[in-house]
Order: sequence, then structure tokens, then C-alpha cells
Amino acid sequence: MPAPARTLDTSGRLCPFPIVETAKAVRSLDEGAVLLVISTDAGIATDMPMWCKATRNEHLGTFREGSAWKSFVRKRAR
Amino acid sequence: MQKQGKAIAMISGGLDSTLALALVRRQGIEVKAVNFYTGFCITETQRRKGGRADGSVPRNEALRAAADLEVDIEYVDISGSEYLDMLVHPKYGYGANANPCVDCRVFMMRKAKAIMEAEGADFIFTGEVLGQRPKSQRRDTLRIIERDSGLDGRLLRPLSAKLLPPTIPEQTGIVDRELLEAISGRSRQRQMELAKELGVVDWPQPAGGCCYLTDESFAKKFFDVLDTREAAGEERRIVPEDVVLLSTGRHFRISPRAKLIVGRSEVENALLEHHVPGRARLEAKDVLGPIALVEGEPTWEERMLAARIVARYGKGKDAPKVAVEWREGELVETYEVEPERDEARVEALRI
Ligand code: SF4
Repeated sequence: MPAPARTLDTSGRLCPFPIVETAKAVRSLDEGAVLLVISTDAGIATDMPMWCKATRNEHLGTFREGSAWKSFVRKRAR
Repeated sequence: MQKQGKAIAMISGGLDSTLALALVRRQGIEVKAVNFYTGFCITETQRRKGGRADGSVPRNEALRAAADLEVDIEYVDISGSEYLDMLVHPKYGYGANANPCVDCRVFMMRKAKAIMEAEGADFIFTGEVLGQRPKSQRRDTLRIIERDSGLDGRLLRPLSAKLLPPTIPEQTGIVDRELLEAISGRSRQRQMELAKELGVVDWPQPAGGCCYLTDESFAKKFFDVLDTREAAGEERRIVPEDVVLLSTGRHFRISPRAKLIVGRSEVENALLEHHVPGRARLEAKDVLGPIALVEGEPTWEERMLAARIVARYGKGKDAPKVAVEWREGELVETYEVEPERDEARVEALRI
């Protein structure tokens, strides 16, 4: 996975807040930059790809690591 | 070329709102979806508790609908005190349970209106269907929601549009009224046909039911909190902590002065641990059992009763005596009690 420009830790937060925070973080990112989102809400594995599709950002992958999930998102170019 | 408009969609992710989204999208109108987080969402709570009984994790349906139709979506958190105050004092009253759907819709539409204005959008639309729900979707109620939210003429219901007066986007030609629907009532037959026509293949089954406020047993606990505060001479109100506790554990009204909450699972026990300050924490010693909290000012007898119920839900329920630890701030006491064996009594106390 490419090196993230920013890492967002949403551990302990539940649906829909990991996505709400992701949306905020992506807004402040440069186009093409990568955001790493850490989440403990299992729903992230389905939510993140869906959110990326809806908002036309690129979902690079979501991986489980112990009790947390790591999602990589690349901000779309306008 | 004024045709290319922009709209804000209020979506839940159910079939109706997904269809409304598809109907507007196919007219080439730019759409931004919004979904409101009230804090009473059952899906969210199921996730907090580690998924459903069968181990699956419920999907976020609003997100799914937006993704299927490639529509940008924004979550709006309205779970604060303004929303909670509305729940306690709804102008138009409650539905069958603790759901003040008319006031809730007005509340959401006002927020959506602010988003519409900020986004420079022309109108708002929803998946509401005329006559589908007994109270909140009657013709007069749909009109009240439009009027009270200040959205006169700018609130479109694509699924029932042909049965309602033309809205401004229909009059100005941003939306082609002919391509909208004339659905009313509870039958979902036309929706099924429309799903086929529009290529909508995925929606939640069974329909609806993501809001705790419409749940009967939740409503009992909700009104119990309000009534108890009022009886104690306090203001009738709900605070964010109540919302979490209302969907956690078994609740028992021990007396007008005391309520007992008993965890039903490891996850609920862990959750209750976060709400110990200001309450008494009960747990059986020496045997496995739930974490429980007592709110209020119980008498000695009421403490014993609470301890007996806690003992009854632990592994020591068949033992002659169980030691139950009572912690309240600095105070730590241990009560040797017989687990409560009178099931009818336990059930009678259940809220
Ligand atoms: S079901 Fe719940 S969220 Fe939906 S309108 Fe009624 S009170 Fe509001």
C-alpha cells in the first residue's frame, strides 16, 4: 500500500462516525493523496468500499489486523 | 439551459428512498444524498454490540443505496440536545410508540433545507409515499412537514408526486413530472415493478425498522425515564447518556426512587462499566455474573431486592446464598443474599 499522507484513528467509534470522520479528513487532503483509516467497527469492511464508490474516491483496500481494520483511501482528482 | 438542477435527497436506504433516488437521477439531475444520525438507529447499536446473533454485521443501508447509484452522501449528526428536546415535547405527538415521526421529519427537513441552501441546490426529495404510514404520511401531514420546515414548494416526493400539487422544480421544468410516480398506500406492488424498471436490485429485507423509537419495549423504558424524572420534581428530559443506557441491558423499576440495569452479555457489561459514575455498581463475588447498575436512591429493602435480582442472573442462581458487591463511590459493601426465585415478581418489575 502507498504511504498515507495522513492516518485517522477512529478506534472505539461506531457507525456512522468512522465514515463521517473519513469524509472530513478526505476533504482536507490534497487530490491523489492517501488516507489511512483505522477502525474497530467491523462494519468498516463493507462501509468503506461503499462510501468510496458513492463519493468516487478510490478504495485501495481494507485489511483486518487483530481487532482493528485498516482502510486505504485515495482522494479522487476532480 | 436551466434544466440541469441540483437536489438534496434524504435517504434511509430502504426500497422507497432508493427508488426515489433512482427516479430523480435518471432525469440527469445532480443529487447529493444526506442521511441523518439520530442516535436511535438499531443498526448502529447492533454493531456496537458486535453484530447480530448470527454473527453477521448489518450493512449501512443508506451508504449502500448511495453507492449503488453513485451519489455523493453526507451524514448529518442530529443526535444532540436539540433533537432530544424535540423527542420530549413533540408538537404533533407520538406515533404508536415513542416515535414523534412528524416532528422528527420536520426537524430533519429543516436541517436538509440548510444543506440545500449551502449547496445551492434547487429542491429536496424523499422516499415518502402518500398513505403508507398511518400518521406521518397522510396527505395533511405531508403538507405540515413541508410547511413547518419552511420548504414550501421545494419538497418533492417522487413516488407520489402525481397525486400531490406540483412543486416548484416541476413547475420550472427542472423535474419532468411525467416521469414521476403516483403511488399511494401500503401495497408495495408498484415499487417492485419500478425496481425492475430502474434496475434497482438490492434493498434491505424486511423493510424499515431502523429506529428504536418505534420499538414497543424501548418506548416503555423511554417514558419510564421521563415519568420518573417528572415524579421526582425534575424536568421531563432525556440526555445523551440515557439513550445509550436505554438500549443496553434488562431494566427493572425497583421503586419510584430506584432503577436497576443488568447487563445481558460481555459487551453490555463492558458498556455499563463506562456509566458507573453517579450510580451504584453491583456484581456477584466468587461466581460469574453480570455487571449491574442502580440509579437513584434505593431504600435498604430495595438494595436487597436489586442484589437478589443480580444474583439470579449469575452462575450462582441456584445457590442458597450469593455474595453481591455493592460499590458506590468510595463505599464498598457486600450483601449475602438469596437469589430471587420468584420469576413472576422479577417479570413484574421489568420495564
Ligand atoms: S421512525 Fe424514527 S427516525 Fe424515522 S421519522 Fe419516526 S422518529 Fe424519526
